[in-house]
Amino acid sequence: MSVLTTKALTIRFGGLTAVEDLNIEVNKGEIVAIIGPNGAGKTTAFNMITGVYNPTEGTVFFGDERINGKRPDVIAHMGIARTFQNIRLFKELSVLENVLIANHLRVKSNLFSSVLRMPWARKEEKAMLEKSLELLKVVGLYDLKDEKASNLPYGLQRRLEIARALATDPTLLLLDEPAAGMNPKETEELSDFIVEIRKKFDITILLIEHHMQLVMDISDRIYVLEYGKTIAQGVPEEIQADPKVIKAYLGEEDDD
Amino acid sequence: MKKSKLNNILSVISLAILVALIVGIQEFGLFGLNSYVIGVIKLCCIYAICALSMNMVNGLTGMFSLGQPGFMALGAYTTGLLTVSAQDKLEIYKIKPIVGFLANANAPFFIALIIGGLVAAFFAFLIGFPVLRLKGDYLAIASLGFSEIIRIFIQNGQSVTNGTTGLIRIPSHVNLYVAFGVLALVVIFMVLLIHSSYGRAFKAIREDEVAAEAMGVNLFKHKMFSFVISGFIAGIGGGLLASHLSAISPDVFKFTLAYEILLMVVLGGQGSISGSIIGAFIVRAALEWLRIVDNPIKIGFINYPGISGMRMVVFSVVLMLIILFWSRGIFGSEEFSFDRLFKFFKGLKKSKKEV
Repeated sequence: MSVLTTKALTIRFGGLTAVEDLNIEVNKGEIVAIIGPNGAGKTTAFNMITGVYNPTEGTVFFGDERINGKRPDVIAHMGIARTFQNIRLFKELSVLENVLIANHLRVKSNLFSSVLRMPWARKEEKAMLEKSLELLKVVGLYDLKDEKASNLPYGLQRRLEIARALATDPTLLLLDEPAAGMNPKETEELSDFIVEIRKKFDITILLIEHHMQLVMDISDRIYVLEYGKTIAQGVPEEIQADPKVIKAYLGEEDDD
Repeated sequence: MKKSKLNNILSVISLAILVALIVGIQEFGLFGLNSYVIGVIKLCCIYAICALSMNMVNGLTGMFSLGQPGFMALGAYTTGLLTVSAQDKLEIYKIKPIVGFLANANAPFFIALIIGGLVAAFFAFLIGFPVLRLKGDYLAIASLGFSEIIRIFIQNGQSVTNGTTGLIRIPSHVNLYVAFGVLALVVIFMVLLIHSSYGRAFKAIREDEVAAEAMGVNLFKHKMFSFVISGFIAGIGGGLLASHLSAISPDVFKFTLAYEILLMVVLGGQGSISGSIIGAFIVRAALEWLRIVDNPIKIGFINYPGISGMRMVVFSVVLMLIILFWSRGIFGSEEFSFDRLFKFFKGLKKSKKEV
């Protein structure tokens, strides 16, 4: 069953076509990777899927529903969560608060019953707190729950960002270069972590990554983008053997 | 950070002392304070309420709005119009008589105050639609502009607001109990709000709008909540001000008032409730004290002639210096607590030893 489908997705900024005719399909439970050199349009594709940009042409389907043109918060509400290439945590707030905020979109009580601490609002708040603490336990950040987000080491900030995205109860999780800036050990831990959360939270994952080891290890399928165009797609073994991909990454051999 | 037991005990004790002082001054004329000093204290409370209302938008939600004077004016005029007696209204409106439906409109003070807040909140709601689509400096300019528009409407609405002459003979219901009581209510409301799910969403917008939206926070809706609540609180502050001064005119709500309140918020620390209150008390008291630079002073051979308005120059310089060199203010976005105070003193001792 397809969770996310993009059909002929294209976006132009003035004369520049950042993404052209992007057709990807992500099925339930899969881990799919989008790879490609810098400037290939990977993050732009993410931004179109999550509603930050409105595509010039084409459509994005989440399940059966067309979602392009919807606001980011509406899309988050529908069940697509994301992380950012440059970590975007709520830096001055605690680890716990970061996760609690991601729960806010499911809050049913209105502002006044929430402020006046009505019984139902209290109950909701308590449930939210328990759920968040549980989540922090699962991702191994429980002991740091009162720490300011910006005080966490880099690897844990990445992890917290993923935890925060998970707190919105997504069915599809988009990870934008989760391994960027990580050392080999952290990257390995991240690999395990991504596979683990897919199982634990029963989610589908679409990720952008430059780290080939991680991509080849965990992805079920891979799309390769170059200059906004999809140049290859397939399972990791096919991609590794694809001459076009090798050319895009390593350049062409000189014939003279 | 868990607060220590000592901190809690000291907080309760100091609160009790504060209440005792208020009762003492109000009932038994403690310290023999004259009515001028008591008036300044009440004014400090009222400004603290207005500073809190600005802090709601600027400090907590991370927007930059300067619309406070307009909302205060709406609150002040509504409260004023509803509390001035029908007889007085007949006498005050000299150029044009007051419009019929307002001539006999009267309400008890607290009801009038709340209606004033609601009127301000309603206008905040209307103004919010265009201005909350803007960000940063643009929002500041637009909100300041709307605040001026409100003032100019008031200035020209002769038959409703009595134009430039303004309202006089507003019965004064503001004693120390009312001033501190309303301030306390506002503080309680804001503390409850900050620690609710909505308050966290406001803070998320302050920290990172893009991330907040990606986490499902409806930016416009939450900014509107914050703006309208802020408008309501400013309206209440304005109503208290009207009743305290017992005479108001459009001049009271000039845009310079926005800077004055901004200074209180920034000095205290944006996002800090205790900061706004302390900021308001310091700035208000300092402005009173600075009146000496408006008057002639003789220091030895130097004869300073006294330039009226000089204190506003000093005030502007202070505002600039604070924003340039100390933009976090006294408390940053933290709250006052005795634990922090002790830590601060310990830090002082340590640094002295190291020297």
